[in-house]
Amino acid sequence: MPAPHVDFTYDRLPNGLRYILAPDPLAPVVAVNIWYGVGSRHESPGKTGFAHLFEHVMFQGSAHVSKAEHIALIQAAGGTMNGTTWLDRTNYFETMPSHQLELALWLEADRMATLLEALNQENLDNQREVVKNEKRWSYDNQPYGLWSHKLQEHLFPPDHPYHHPTIGSMEDLDAASIDDVAGFFRTHYAPNNAVLSIVGDFDPGEARATIARLFGPIEPAPLGPPLPEVALPLSLGGEVREDLVDRVPLARVYLGYRAPVFGDRRLHALEIAGQILSGGKGSRLHRRLVREERIAQDVAFFVMGFVGGASIAAGWATVRPGVDVARVEAAYLEELDRIAREPVTADELVRARALVETDAVGALQRVEDRADQLSMYATHFDQPDRINRELAEYLAVTAEDIRAVCAETFPADHRVVITYLPAADATADGGGLQGAGTEDAA
Amino acid sequence: MSGEHLATRPTPGTPRSYEFPPFSRSRLANGTEVRVVDLPGRPLVSLVVAVRRGATDEPAEIAGVSALAARALSEGTERHDAIGLVEAAERLGAQLHASAGWDSTTGGVEVLADRFAPAVELLAEMMLTPTFPTSEVERLRDQRMNEVLQAYADPRRRAEIAFDEVIYTPDSPYRRLLGGSRSTVPGLDSAALRVRHASWIDPGRTTIVVGGDLAGTDVLGILEPLFGGISPVAPVPAPAPVIAASAVDRPLVRVVHRPGAVQTEVRVGHVGLARRIPDFHAVSVMSAILGGLFGSRLNMRLREEKGYTYGAHAGFDLRAHAGPFGARAAVDTDNTVPAVIDLLGELRRMRDTDVTPDELRAAKDYLIGVFPLRFETPGPVVGALAGLAMNELPDDELARYRPGIEAVTVADVRSAAETHIHVDRLAIVLVGDADRIATDVEAAGFGDYDVVAEDLAPG
Repeated sequence: MPAPHVDFTYDRLPNGLRYILAPDPLAPVVAVNIWYGVGSRHESPGKTGFAHLFEHVMFQGSAHVSKAEHIALIQAAGGTMNGTTWLDRTNYFETMPSHQLELALWLEADRMATLLEALNQENLDNQREVVKNEKRWSYDNQPYGLWSHKLQEHLFPPDHPYHHPTIGSMEDLDAASIDDVAGFFRTHYAPNNAVLSIVGDFDPGEARATIARLFGPIEPAPLGPPLPEVALPLSLGGEVREDLVDRVPLARVYLGYRAPVFGDRRLHALEIAGQILSGGKGSRLHRRLVREERIAQDVAFFVMGFVGGASIAAGWATVRPGVDVARVEAAYLEELDRIAREPVTADELVRARALVETDAVGALQRVEDRADQLSMYATHFDQPDRINRELAEYLAVTAEDIRAVCAETFPADHRVVITYLPAADATADGGGLQGAGTEDAA
Repeated sequence: MSGEHLATRPTPGTPRSYEFPPFSRSRLANGTEVRVVDLPGRPLVSLVVAVRRGATDEPAEIAGVSALAARALSEGTERHDAIGLVEAAERLGAQLHASAGWDSTTGGVEVLADRFAPAVELLAEMMLTPTFPTSEVERLRDQRMNEVLQAYADPRRRAEIAFDEVIYTPDSPYRRLLGGSRSTVPGLDSAALRVRHASWIDPGRTTIVVGGDLAGTDVLGILEPLFGGISPVAPVPAPAPVIAASAVDRPLVRVVHRPGAVQTEVRVGHVGLARRIPDFHAVSVMSAILGGLFGSRLNMRLREEKGYTYGAHAGFDLRAHAGPFGARAAVDTDNTVPAVIDLLGELRRMRDTDVTPDELRAAKDYLIGVFPLRFETPGPVVGALAGLAMNELPDDELARYRPGIEAVTVADVRSAAETHIHVDRLAIVLVGDADRIATDVEAAGFGDYDVVAEDLAPG
């Protein structure tokens, strides 16, 4: 099976907007995707959650689009859309029936050019409440809901931009003013801080002309200086532990580590390690903790890639009732230690590669996903052609690459351990849970 | 900053014609139906084996047996133990899956076209010759027991459980947990799973659907030796009649206490509709306007106007028999009562007034326009074709979808709302901090009212 290949062009308007065109007439659909080079790491102290709150404001109208009309127009055209905010970036995307391409481009251009003309206190206040309810829904009212915030807090020092969660704090959200939002727009939302990708059923010549017409007149912004160097060692200087008591029926142990940055070849090897450790029921952690020793309800291990100093490698094991939490943690750590000492077997590598190959084809099937990947590689590396090189990078990972990156990543003084313990009145078997007295070694 | 060049709104181009991909139908020697849809340029092939038999006809005392049996299929076969089976599939870059729903039980695989034959062979082995080893079944049972505990601790899942318990009569399977409860799961042993599995070996109720770039793949030639020889191991009794009756005959409120909850999970609704109804298209448009679109009445009121929630939705879960109809939102605790009032108001308004022509046009254009987007890749195409077979719907059902939506009128929407939204017997389920909301909820007079404990150790 030949590796999937995406043909595209990559150009720049005089105002700095980079754009990628990848025609593919297979289905009568087209994806439009914009990445802005701004995420929660660009927020200043006291203004956490702004990048994400701002993303909501981007759907509240612009000079020629009224409140909520952006989404209404997309849906009435038979399209889907959304926006997401993460540590390093914010993206906005639409998938449209192909004859509606220009509508999506026009909507993106109008808010890039004229958002502030429609910004008002009422809409900001409304979306502030929506975002606070999003925070409650996604984190505060969820069992084990704060684990990712806790990992970020402990993995990154207070002055590092990954220390705080993208959703922000209630206090900072409450304090966000119109001036703050306007300032954020002027600083970060400009053609010279954006990448636009179009993938699917369209004529590239027409698209080029439309992009020039709609986006060409938008003024670039004097972007601030790049963020200061934030590279971090993988070591934390000592294991960090925190125990949390929550209304959960089963204890759960979360582990977190700093990992090589996104784009570093070592992160590919760590992702393959993740597949071998916890991908499916043949994986090492699942086999040992869930199937054989039967001490865990479920296990996970995964990598979140970031460009600003370090990525995160994280995992968890949910502890079966009646099992000592410390035993589960120890078994999990033994497996991390083993993969850092001994090369994975040839068969493990063959299986992981075969699954990566299938995933690579699956991840490029939809025009929407292709557009997002092209924007991502252009935003982070100015190299959208990485979309066609990534699979080979994964397949080139050797058993020694895996062992080496695991040895670098998993030493004891690199890890954060967050343990969720059931509240005394919330245990399954009348509070008889063992292991609730796990030592706090911090 | 200026945007004069953006003052003119674009006009759409000419729509490219679209038809749901055509498929062929044939039968294996034993009568198993096969549907094949060739999708050139889609190398990731999807295959589903669907059996028209789900959890609804399980005896109540072994509720969850279908789900557990489906989960246990991969725990070992006559040729492989569990690890051997999963490793063989992984060497092909494939992951086998199986699950039971209310109305059907399915197994499937997604695999690159050049590895299709060996992957399907493994799938057949898993579906037809499982051994249900005692020890592994015990482990899955324990895991399911813990899963129920986790479901009760999760406010969203807790709300769904409480809602089904309130709206359905005790003898309805839809009142139960699909995967089984803490009282039924301990009784699910290997023998029970084997009996359940035997009831799936029924060519007359089985449909295999394959989609993807199948150039050079002899689908029937591969399937015939694997699935064409099986026959029922014993006469399979016809499924028992399914009861999907409403337990509610007047408005009522149930509060599930969740101490310290910063939001209330709200569910409002009643027993809804089955999939096979004459006014399916009108119901689809009505649901979109009420709570399906981003610009739906519920979302605009509760989110974009009031800021009570991250999202408010409503819809019908259409099953072989009447599934639930519900509106749902998670609202901050202090706004629980105002949010319920707005939600009830929108349900009433849907019945009491006509939708505007603009609302109708927007909803129809969305449903019609988004249809090709839904079927861009093989997985959803195969899923939809299997769904047709499981619901015993005609072959042209998907081809007729867009004209059917286009034909819906303002009067049709009004009629659908009047016929299918029953404001006189709405159940309101609130999972939240009763210490903070109970007094106001009771005072609001929504209906007969009770509060139940959080119950983190359900029976």
